[in-house]
Amino acid sequence: MEHFALWLGAFLTLGILSFLYKDNAWYKLSEAVFVGISAGFWFATLFWDNLVGKFWDGKGEEPMLWVGAALGLLMLFRLLPKVGWLSRWPLAFIVGATSGLWLMNYLASNIMSQVQATILPVFSSGFGAGFDADLATIVGNLVIFVGTFTGLVYFFFSKEHKGVFGGAARVGIFFIMITFGASFGYTVMSRMSLLIGRIDFLLGDWLGMIG
Amino acid sequence: MGQPDTAPLDTAVFADSGAVTVAPVESLLAEDHKYDNGRAVDLSWVPSIDDQLVDSKALGYRVYRIVDGGEADSLADLPPFAAAFTDGSVERGHSYVYFVSALSPSGEFPSVHTAPVKPEREWINLSRGWLFLIMLFISAAVIFFVETARRGKKLFVRKIAGLEAIDDAVGRATEMGRPVLFIPGISDMDDVETLAALTILGRVSRTIADYDSKIFMPVSRSLVMTAARETLKASYQSAGRPDAYSDDMVNYVTDEQFGYVAAVDGLMAREKPATVFLLGAFFAESLILAETGNSVGAIQIAGTARPAQLPFFIAACDFTLIGEELFAASAYLSGEPRMLGSLKGQDVGKALAMIVILVGVVAMTMSEAWDVGVMENLRAWLVRVFSTS
Amino acid sequence: MRRQIPLLITFVVGTLLIVSVFIPPFGELETTFNIWFDIIAVFAFFLGGGNLLRVHIDKLRKKKRDWPFSIVTIAGFVVMLAAGLFKINNPGDIASAVDAPGSLFSDIFNSVQYPLSATMYSLLAFFVASASYRAFRAKNREATLLLIAAFIILLGRTPFGVLVTSWVPDSTSLLQIPNMAIWIMNAPNLAGQRAIIIGIGLGVISMSLRLILGLERSYLGGEK
Repeated sequence: MEHFALWLGAFLTLGILSFLYKDNAWYKLSEAVFVGISAGFWFATLFWDNLVGKFWDGKGEEPMLWVGAALGLLMLFRLLPKVGWLSRWPLAFIVGATSGLWLMNYLASNIMSQVQATILPVFSSGFGAGFDADLATIVGNLVIFVGTFTGLVYFFFSKEHKGVFGGAARVGIFFIMITFGASFGYTVMSRMSLLIGRIDFLLGDWLGMIG
Repeated sequence: MGQPDTAPLDTAVFADSGAVTVAPVESLLAEDHKYDNGRAVDLSWVPSIDDQLVDSKALGYRVYRIVDGGEADSLADLPPFAAAFTDGSVERGHSYVYFVSALSPSGEFPSVHTAPVKPEREWINLSRGWLFLIMLFISAAVIFFVETARRGKKLFVRKIAGLEAIDDAVGRATEMGRPVLFIPGISDMDDVETLAALTILGRVSRTIADYDSKIFMPVSRSLVMTAARETLKASYQSAGRPDAYSDDMVNYVTDEQFGYVAAVDGLMAREKPATVFLLGAFFAESLILAETGNSVGAIQIAGTARPAQLPFFIAACDFTLIGEELFAASAYLSGEPRMLGSLKGQDVGKALAMIVILVGVVAMTMSEAWDVGVMENLRAWLVRVFSTS
Repeated sequence: MRRQIPLLITFVVGTLLIVSVFIPPFGELETTFNIWFDIIAVFAFFLGGGNLLRVHIDKLRKKKRDWPFSIVTIAGFVVMLAAGLFKINNPGDIASAVDAPGSLFSDIFNSVQYPLSATMYSLLAFFVASASYRAFRAKNREATLLLIAAFIILLGRTPFGVLVTSWVPDSTSLLQIPNMAIWIMNAPNLAGQRAIIIGIGLGVISMSLRLILGLERSYLGGEK
């Protein structure tokens, strides 16, 4: 049985890889298997975790849960043409809740914390208690300050990028491009290791050529 | 927690020689945890003097609690040097007394009991006052400009290349007789980026309906499928072409991240869309989708608020909406003065951030470099206002 | 009318959740919302799964292009669904976890879903190469900057990068590639990230307000 599973795994792996050459029946088969099985996987998992897990294991007494179930049922009304419009209610609820939650979360984590962290000294004569007067740190802080400031200038919507403002915006986009380059370079290595993992499986586990 | 409930050992039993005694903790204080729903009590104390010796025999501490004058139960065992503990399992309406025992190899050495404490609920979390004010300020700015825009004040908005290109991109699809592919990310409706993608869909689909192009929208979540259908249907209705709409334009594929990608890749290879929109929350699969779209010659307009995925879109797509631009897109595309007003409100927020950073940097620099006391106070105040704990 | 109630729901719920951050007794609302969302999502799955089946059965019946593969999709879906819902072959039967080891469910996952997922993920190695190759033909100053930064960071994470600048004296150690890479990550990269992140925060606030106040309402559909 394990032998079969190994061969099946290799078959599907090669099927997906064949897409790099071009779309073909082998890939279509692997894709169809993937879609069907994964959709079934998630439905079964969510069913047991979110539906049964919440209502059956003795926790069903909470009235709050039944409100959730009622909203969920409203969702299914979509199938009935006459009362389909009721399915907008759970959607409206979700949109409102998501908006409210994320507004506060992002205000705290994206704005407040980031602004606080950017308050840095850009010069020192060694008088401050506990501050490292090292040149590298000063330059680093200066770069962080200028980069964050001009980056924000770049994102301004209601002012044209002209004159001094435009100059600052250009500096800002330079910093942003460096950020993207750094992210890109950082991730390339980890992507390579994913491929090495699959090659290891094909040559090692399946064909037994390595190890 | 999960420690067995035990009563403290009677230290008198260990009065013989060879017993290792450890001084008990001092200044034990129990207080209601502030700004909660009455569910927590904070304990603090000065650790045993013996704990600070080099060859300390103290093994740690055990916290005990007495509810409404009943039996003492142990709550938790803490390692040496511990000086605080929060009891998060209290309930309003009960009275709690605590004591802490210092542990040694020979037994326990309890402290004196605290005075009884009753947990209370506070209705307003005053520690978050500044957060509230800043939220109010930014919200007020947005609402203010929305309202003034309504009265016809002209607002300038800089051009965003990716959004200006949408009309041409859709027109291209019509000319070539090839479809438009819209991918709203792989997150569910509990992600703001998905909501942003759907609001943009509302605008873009209007153009698609006007140009009589074909649209494919495979989605990874069932809820998104439902919301997207509502959006598309409304667009086709408002374009005066309700019959051109079909539920089949939006199809659920699978919740599985890479299963969805495999199916979308196949769709791209077979249908060869002329235009691809990649808007919303994406993860590692962003590059796979973008590169496949490239290989079929599609013009691609992408946008996400995941900084980690932006570089891949920048490298592989023709136009990329960077972070904030994704959320501004729908307002921008609508062209309505009220919507554009909200963008100006966003700018006010940015200006606030920039001013605070500038003032903070100057203050901290002057305080660190020339020891200017006033500046140190200013810096400390700014840091406190913008803290989130 | 059919739009008014949903708009009201959005407004009330949104405002409530904003305010709950400042009112401790409402602190549970976020958790409650998450639970309700999970439940709603499962119900919605009936719609999604139903759509999946309908589309593929339709393809089968009308013998559309690639219709044989629809059989595979439907079969896979039904088999996995049955394996999970009825906990076929599970040690401990219905009471055990749905993905207990030894169950048909987890066997199919391990032999089918996992290799497929891992292989799709590994395609990134090829696509990163093709994207980098295209990006090398940098057309403007911004793209050039992106490339240079990417190159330095990439080199800095490999032994080759250490080798190439190992001759640089320690007094100017910053010019050694691994150190340059670290500095780039901690200074200019951090700055750019911050600007983007702050912008995103403001974008979220603005869009959330537009949704809560009902300025954006396309997701609610038309009047009918």
